[in-house]
Order: sequence, then C-alpha cells, then structure tokens
Amino acid sequence: MNQTDILTVRSLNASYGESKVLFDISLGVKPGQVVSCVGRNGAGKSTLLKSIAGFIRSVSGEVTCDGTSLLGIRAYDIAKLGIKYIPQDKKVFSDLTVRENLELGSYATKDYNWDMVTDYFPKLKTLLDRKAGFLSGGERQMLMVGRALLGSPKVLLIDEPTEGLAPSVVSHLKTVFGELKKKSALVIVEQNLPLVCAISEKIYAIKEGRIVAELVGDAIQANVCEGYL
Amino acid sequence: MNAFRWWRGILLAFFLVALIRVFLPLPFSNEVVIFSIYVMGCSFLLGQVGFISFGQPAYLATGAYATAFYLFYFGTNPFAGILIGIAAGIVMSLIVGPLFVRLRSDYFALVNLALAVIIYYMMQKVLAPITQGDNGLWFLTNMKSTPILDISRPKEFYLFAFLVALGVWALYKYLNDTLYGACCLASKINEDKVTFLGYSNFKIRLLAFVIANTTTALAGSLYAIYLGFVSPEMTSAHRCADPVVVTILGGVGTLFGPLVGAFAFTGMKDLISNLIGNWELFIGFLLVFIMLAGEKGIWGSLEPRLARLFTKRA
Repeated sequence: MNQTDILTVRSLNASYGESKVLFDISLGVKPGQVVSCVGRNGAGKSTLLKSIAGFIRSVSGEVTCDGTSLLGIRAYDIAKLGIKYIPQDKKVFSDLTVRENLELGSYATKDYNWDMVTDYFPKLKTLLDRKAGFLSGGERQMLMVGRALLGSPKVLLIDEPTEGLAPSVVSHLKTVFGELKKKSALVIVEQNLPLVCAISEKIYAIKEGRIVAELVGDAIQANVCEGYL
Repeated sequence: MNAFRWWRGILLAFFLVALIRVFLPLPFSNEVVIFSIYVMGCSFLLGQVGFISFGQPAYLATGAYATAFYLFYFGTNPFAGILIGIAAGIVMSLIVGPLFVRLRSDYFALVNLALAVIIYYMMQKVLAPITQGDNGLWFLTNMKSTPILDISRPKEFYLFAFLVALGVWALYKYLNDTLYGACCLASKINEDKVTFLGYSNFKIRLLAFVIANTTTALAGSLYAIYLGFVSPEMTSAHRCADPVVVTILGGVGTLFGPLVGAFAFTGMKDLISNLIGNWELFIGFLLVFIMLAGEKGIWGSLEPRLARLFTKRA
C-alpha cells in the first residue's frame, strides 16, 4: 500500500440501505499484480468490487486509482478511467452478435485492436457473427474478458471468473490471466483456491465484510486459504 | 432478414403503401401513412429501449398544436408549421425527458400517461382562450399554397407524407444498424453492463426519447396540416393506448411493424366500425390472440416466412 499502488482502498465502508456490508476495508494493488479476494458466500467480496467500480453509492472511505479518487464518480466514468468490472453472472448482450458486443467495447474506449482480443481468445474469431445468447458459458466469459480488455484498462475487477466453467476453460483462463497481468493489475474474487494460489501475488481473506488476513509469498497456499472459507 | 435484404423490404413495403393509394380512398391512405409515422417512435422506444409509453398522444398534440398555433395566429406556410412542430417536439422531449428516462419502464409508462392527461386539460381548459377548448383551432383556409408540392391539397399531401414516412423509416433503419442502435438494445437487455463498458444509460435513453418523441410530434404536425384542424380530442385518455396497440399489432421492434400495424389498425377501424359500433372490441380480441400466439405481431410472424420465400427464390 505504498506510493506505487495503482489501486488503493482505505477504510472502505459500504452498505445496502440500512444494512452495512463492508467494514473498514483497506487494500493495495500494484501494477502487474494479481490480487485475489477469497471468502464465503455473502462475505462481501462482490460488494467490494462493485464499490470500487462505482456501482454502490453508499460508501465511505477512500478509493484511488493512479492518484485519482474514485468515490463519487459515476460508474461509467470509472470505466472510462480504465477500471473495468467483469461481473460474475456471465450475462452478455444476448440479442447482439459477438462482433456487436466487441464494437460496444471498442466505441466506448476508442480501441479497435481486436487482434489483441483474439490473440488471447482465438475462438472468438470464429464466433464473431453468432448471437451472444447462443454462446456457451466459457465463450461468454471469453467475450466478457475480451471486451473489457479493449482500451487497455489499468485495473480489471473480475468477479468469480471460473464459476461453472469446464476445467479446460478454467485452465485457459489461468494462462490468460498470467499474460494479462503484464498489462493490467487484476483484482479477482474467486472460490477456486488452486487457481487463486497459482496466479495471485497477494490474497485477502474476507469474512463478514472485514479483511481477516492478507497472504503473500509462501503463505499463499490452498490449505491456508481454505481456513478462511 | 439476411436474404430478405432491407432495401428490397423497404421498396416492397412502400410500393404496397403507394398501391394503397390506387385502390383505397385518399383519406384512408393519408391516415395509414401518418399513423405509421406516429407509431414508429413508440415502436423504437418499446423495441429498442424497452420503454412502453402510454403518453404518446402528449407529444402528438405538442407537434399538432405548435403547428396549429403558427398557422392559426402567425403564418400561412405549412412547411414552416411542420418545422415549428418538430422544434416543439424536441423542446418538449428535452424538458420532460431528463426526468422521465430515469424511471423504471412501468413508471415511465404511467408518467407519460399522466403527461397526456395534463396536456389534454391544458388544451381543453387552462389554455382555452388560445386553443378554443373543445371547439379546436380551424386553419385549413389560412394555409397558402406552396410551390412544387402544395401540401395544403390532400393528393399532394399524400405524396409528401409518403416521402416523410420513407425518410423516417430510413432514419430508424439507420439508427438500428449503427452502434447507437446496439447501445439502445444493450441498455434494454442489461443496463448495468452498459455502464461497465463506460456508457451512460441516461444519455442513451434521453437521445432515444428525444428522437422517438420528435417523430411523434412530426406526425402530429402532419395530422394538423392534413386535417386543417386540431382539438384536445387527439390527446384524450381513451386514445393513449393506440400507438402501443398498433406497435404490438405490427410487431414490437420490427421496422415494418408500424407500417403494417397502422394499415391493419386503420383498416379494421374503418371496416368494423361500419358493422359494429364498438370496433375496439374486435381489436381487443385480436391483441389477446396475438400476445397468446407468441407476441410477434403481424409483421413479426410474416417476416421469417417471407425471408424463407425469398431465400428459396434466390
């Protein structure tokens, strides 16, 4: 959490109406780092990502990206600043084709470098004219990650990227995340502990809205993480 | 729709509209063309943005009364009247749009209905000294002939309205094919995800609202010119569902739906009202049938069949 952090969260509190969900969360992410958040369902992991991405308005504390405070900024402006949130539901724009889905990402970021996207996910090249509603879960995840990559985001906030996906797709995503961190910092919420341990430089364990452990280096082990689930 | 290319479609559709004029009376043809323009805005809002509006007569009346005020009190050129009607539609949309498009679809439907009721009473009671209340404004004889295309004459008006409908249809076709059309559809499917990409749902919806309601105001202006008369009746509560009914009848979100729906609705109204007093009863049953049969509407059901037919021939 020093000056080189690209994303800094300090004393973040968030609530849904009267119900407080996050308590005094602080974390830091350096450029090129993969930081993961683990914890049980309902611990507040997704809420943390949504709070950073500007989708939850009732937050207090401090969230900065590259020195710019994100609190109070609208979600679409945060996306334009290069903080892209990829939600866990894998719902793409089902009535639009893959090409149109990518065009939406390109127009918003003025980045039409689809070769970069198809380098990571070659399968998308063959699916450009298919309606996104007809893609498999893995293909949808590829599309969502690929679309988020347009505009060279500074930070990718990825919520449960491997949930419900086939092992081969998970393995592919693992390789992609390893490559992606050369360009963007990644904050991943994930229950797949072997994957998390394999790709993360830092892991935060979250329980009942609070960070209860920060694991780095040798402490990053699946059996250690499991203790916080 | 790949094989049934859109340009073939537009030519065929508007050839049929032109054909209407040959076989059917001029008033019917004029009403179909104007009604189709009226419904295009509603169809765009419902099909592309997911907003159902029961208040389209409010915007229709805005355009009609703006044109009528000009032609009754100030000028004689019907083209200038139409431009004023369009401007009034834009102004009205920009005034209420920023408030209305923030609402959920169901509240959006009702707040527009409320606006239509407000406009009705404004025109009927509050502004009666200038609108002449229920008597309406008559200005048919105020309109001067215009060079090249004299739209104060019904026959030439039909040609003009036909060209305007063609232009409006092409505009919506263009919008649907652009990235903005995709943005509208994306906003309808999942508004949160549009925000993730860096788009403002508010701006997308406001623009759609302004475009749709300006189209409706244009239809209002055309009605005013064609009839040479406006009255608060055009925005009365029992007419508020008409554009939604025609949108569903024609096929929600389809480009030809408004044209087909307007033809079917006007045709049924004319035919059935000769047989039974309450022609709306038949429309009601037809709507129930269409929704139970798959919600596709007339054009939505015909389109795949025509596409197959054209594919086979190709």
